[in-house]
Amino acid sequence: MTLLPFGTHFGAPFLRWLEHSQLGVFTRSLGVWSYGIINLVHILGIVMLFGAILLLDLRLLGAWRSIPLAAISRPATTVAMTGFCVAVLSGVPMLTVKSSDYIGNPFLLIKFPAIALALVNVWLVHRSPAWAAHKVRDLTRREQMRLAAGAALSLTFWLTAITAGRMIGYW
Amino acid sequence: MTRLLSAISTVLLISTPAFAHHGWGGQEEQVTSLTGTVVQGVSLAGPHATMKIKVGNDVWDLTMAPPARTANAGLKEGLIPIGATVMVRGNRNLDHARHEMKTIFVKHGTAEYHVYADRE
Repeated sequence: MTLLPFGTHFGAPFLRWLEHSQLGVFTRSLGVWSYGIINLVHILGIVMLFGAILLLDLRLLGAWRSIPLAAISRPATTVAMTGFCVAVLSGVPMLTVKSSDYIGNPFLLIKFPAIALALVNVWLVHRSPAWAAHKVRDLTRREQMRLAAGAALSLTFWLTAITAGRMIGYW
Repeated sequence: MTRLLSAISTVLLISTPAFAHHGWGGQEEQVTSLTGTVVQGVSLAGPHATMKIKVGNDVWDLTMAPPARTANAGLKEGLIPIGATVMVRGNRNLDHARHEMKTIFVKHGTAEYHVYADRE
């Protein structure tokens, strides 16, 4: 996989360690339906995360201008953050079940950097003056452009993460 | 939107997956039989039950039905000890460099496990 800036066995020692961790041992002991149920919770977390983000990002990109931005941003942020936590709390045990299977899986190596970039983007947007301003007043054209750029990056990173995540199982 | 589309197309371009699980598209049509010794026993964790056997110098990854279905076929963890000889039938990966087989049937001594009975 020459497209990646590191070898395909990147992270192999970590993945082996993860599989033999207490969490891995525990997750594997939970019975024949456990993986399916944890997988379901992971999907529900992603649904909350991406559904809320999609609404907010489309609003920031210019959809539904008649609805005040703050009326969408507050519930969307709460639901997205909750969804992210649900996805992490279900995703980590799922990863520990057979971590060594993922050694050399390029999609894993696309997914996690994409999530990291998405989180950096969240952090940058939330500390921007435009984000602080939208809670108390109408935004200037320039501030709207700043948040629209953040929304475009957000959709790019999260869709990349979700797509790569889904493809992990098909490698 | 251009960024979004280019990101999606990048991911799609590099995805020519070999279908490790979730599908039989990457497997041969014909059924192969293997006889080997168990090096990693049946695991009923994860999306599919798995087992590893050694045939000659090669370690084969055997992918069976999902855990609940494999257990219903009678094949549970710990039934087949490491080092035991087993005969398995299934569809091997189209990529012969990968010693991976979607396993339909497992025979250990006189015990027979039809983990994918509808594919026999």
